[in-house]
Order: sequence, then C-alpha cells, then structure tokens
Amino acid sequence: MRNLIRTSLAIAGLVLTAAVSGAPAPKTLHDSGDPTLALTPGLRGADKAPPGSPPGNPDPHDLNGVWWMSGYQYLLGPEPGVAPPLKPKYMAILERRIRAKNRGTPEADASTQCFPHGMPRVMESPYPIEIVQTPERITFLHEVAHNIRRIWLNRDHPRKVAHTFLGDSVGHWEGDTLVVDTIGLNDRTFIDDEGSSHSTQEHVVERYRKIDDGSTLELIMTVEDPVTLEHPYSYRRVFRWRPDVRPQEYVCEENNRNAPVNGVTVAK
Amino acid sequence: MRRAGVLLAAAATLALASLAAPAAPPDLSGVWFITHSVGALMTLDGHAPPLTPEAKAVVAAHRAAAAKGDFSFDGVTRCLPPGLPRLLLMREPFEILQKPKVIYFVHQLNRLPRRVYLDEALPTDVDPHYLGYSVGRWDGDSLVVDSSGFDDSTLLDNAGLPHSDALHLTERYQLSQDGRHLHLTVTIEDPKTFTQPWSAQADYLKRPGYELTEEVCAATPEARRPRS
Repeated sequence: MRNLIRTSLAIAGLVLTAAVSGAPAPKTLHDSGDPTLALTPGLRGADKAPPGSPPGNPDPHDLNGVWWMSGYQYLLGPEPGVAPPLKPKYMAILERRIRAKNRGTPEADASTQCFPHGMPRVMESPYPIEIVQTPERITFLHEVAHNIRRIWLNRDHPRKVAHTFLGDSVGHWEGDTLVVDTIGLNDRTFIDDEGSSHSTQEHVVERYRKIDDGSTLELIMTVEDPVTLEHPYSYRRVFRWRPDVRPQEYVCEENNRNAPVNGVTVAK
Repeated sequence: MRRAGVLLAAAATLALASLAAPAAPPDLSGVWFITHSVGALMTLDGHAPPLTPEAKAVVAAHRAAAAKGDFSFDGVTRCLPPGLPRLLLMREPFEILQKPKVIYFVHQLNRLPRRVYLDEALPTDVDPHYLGYSVGRWDGDSLVVDSSGFDDSTLLDNAGLPHSDALHLTERYQLSQDGRHLHLTVTIEDPKTFTQPWSAQADYLKRPGYELTEEVCAATPEARRPRS
C-alpha cells in the first residue's frame, strides 16, 4: 500500500513537473526531435531528511542507514538525456525499445517480470536503499522488488563466476571511498529503464563517498562492456541520508499488473 | 567471616559491573539451515494444534486440494512471501545480520528480507504485511521477537495451516554454547484460528562460509519453486 502511495506520488510529481514547466517538448534520443524517440523525463527524487531528523553520521567508513536517490534518470548515459555509448547495433535496439514504449507496447524487461533489475539499473531507484555494514560485508537492501546486493570485503571474485541478475560484487576501501567491482551479470537485464543493452561481459565499478558531513552519499558509476559499448563511461549520482524512512515490504509478485504477455509489457 | 565479606563484596562488584555494562548479547550472525524441515507444525508435546472447528475445516480443505495436486491455496506457488513462521520452517537457509538496533533476517527463498526493530513497542495500527511487523528485545541470552500485522492469506506451516489477521507470534531464539546451533521456540496466538495459544519449535545449524544464492522465484518454473 505504502508503495502504491510512493509510486502515485512519483507519477503525480512527474505530471506536475510537466504542467508547471509549460510542458516543453520532451527530450529525445540523439536530440533528434523525433517524437517516437521521446525519452521519459527524469524525476527529482528524494529530498534531504526533514528538519528535526538525526544528522548524518560523518564517519566516512560507516555507510549504515537508509539512503534515497536524488535525480532519478530513465536513461543511464554519461549525462542526463544522453544514451550510453552503445555500438550501432545496440543503439538500434535501444531506438526500437524507445519506439515500442512510446507506442504504448513496451518490450518486456526484467522489472515487469519481477526479476532483479540488473546493474547499474538497480542502483537507479526511486525507492530507498538500506545499507547494512558488517565486518566482512556491505549489504544493500533495496526496497524495490526486495533486491539485495552483497558486497564482499573479504574475498575476490570467484575464478569461475556464475551469471546472476545482480552479479558478483567485491569491495575495498581506497581512503574514504568504497570501491565496488561487479562482474558475473547475466544478460537478461538492461543497463537502464529505456532499454540500453549489456552483455554477460559487463563490468561495473562503483565508487561511494560520503559528502556534506554524512548527509549525502556520492556515487561515481563506471560501466564497461566490450560487447555492447564503444568505450567505458561514467556518471555521478547522490543519495540523501534518510533516517526518517523505514523500508517497506515490496511484493512485485502480488497482482503484477505489468506482467508481460507475449513479450510485451501490459500496462493495465 | 572475612572471606564471606570479600566474596560478598566481589559479588556486589560483579552485580554492579553487570548493571553498569550489560553483557553483550550473543552474536546470532551467520547463515542458518534448519536441521529438520517441518511439514505440519506440531505443539511442543507432539500434538496437533488446537484448531477451532472452522479452522479445522480449512486445513482439511487445503489437504484435500493438495492431495489432488491443487496448490492454488498456497501463495508461494505464485511467488508471494510464505508468511511466518513458515518461512523459518522451510529448507531454504537464511542469514542473520545483527546490528545494535535492528536484526535482519535475510532469507534465500526469493531473497526475502525481514527486519526486527529492537526495543520498540509493536505498533497498534499497521497495514497488513506478508511478513508482519516485528520488534525484538534481548531477554538474558535469548532474542525475543514479537510480531503482528499479518496478511491473513499466508500459511503458518508447509502443510496448509491457516491463520487470521489476529495472529500474534512470539519467537524466542537461543544460541548454543558453541555458537553453532540456534533453537527457536515460537508461540502462536490467534483466537480466530486456535482455541488457545500454543508453541512449536525448530532447530538450526550454522554453516560458516556459505553464501546465500540469488533465488528468483519469478524466473523459476512453477514446478521447481520451493514449497517446503
């Protein structure tokens, strides 16, 4: 129920933003102006914690707590509204997916089937993420679709890594920055909501660092994929410290109204 | 006499020390496997649960359907969370992440998380959740977890035992001296389903070094989804 409210608020916010700003022409892929390639506008995302909330913990090596993303994007390229540097074949697939979305018949993706969202998409969440830090591990408990990521601080990637939706993640500290290295991703997910492709050779590096006295967590995301990308690229995001938020039970599988039929996501 | 006085003083000092700095609670962290998965939940003395006549009829209907291969009464076949205590009675392992204010139970089964908030009261008015709402406290060496706010569509065990929205669970977890075994006693109160409160138990073995796997129910064919 709470999630329905959150989703409704997000959608209402989207509509409101469009109305207030006088509904400018939506940004399109390649800035082509072609309305069939219109991108879904980003969301403002989470604000700082309300006044009176406990202050952020300034300890740079203590990431425990609930974090909520500011500035959510549907297309995860190097800049908002810019596509990842996809090779021509995969750019054409992204165009096909954006056109299908704009026709109201989006291609089935992982999230509409209640699969984990894949990387880096799972980190681009309009829902809160709780970080639980234990001696050998950092665990990300995502509210959305009860995604969970385990970042191992006490081992390397296995020599023969299994391919999973969220991959195998290992981390280490470089000064005050947590560096997370992820491989072992299956190719059943997209890089982003709009449908940029990745392969099983995708390699993702995340660099997390606390800023603003611990009230903000900065992420520099770097995505590399020799199969689908021309070259690696990076983008920056921030998460707000939200001690006032408790993650809620999220059951994607309950009355999944977006469950795809014949490969097309149905919006009911 | 003097010796007794010294002993008394020592005892008083110990008592004061324990008042000043309570002993650290036991560390339940780790991956736990149930030692014997539980099909039909029984009371501590091995009897069938004290069902009301109406609830007895529901159990009979579930078992008759199951005997015909019809598990539509069981949301787990549709990837819905199994509810409690059933989630703790399945063969799938879970891991405990222990923090000072929250204890996290993260289950391998469809990657379900459960948070137990320590030293808080149960909220009186919560939306129903598949896994309810849980608060906990340390009672000596035991972790005691109180839960309510359950969605009434889940089952209490792997054999179709129902419950109502009035369900209240009290779990008591005790770690063995060697830290390798965890004993659970769960007390089930639900006046709409049972004629009186009753208790059941389960045991868990720690498996150091085991990493929970990414189980994705929705990506698993229905016939291969764990039901027990």
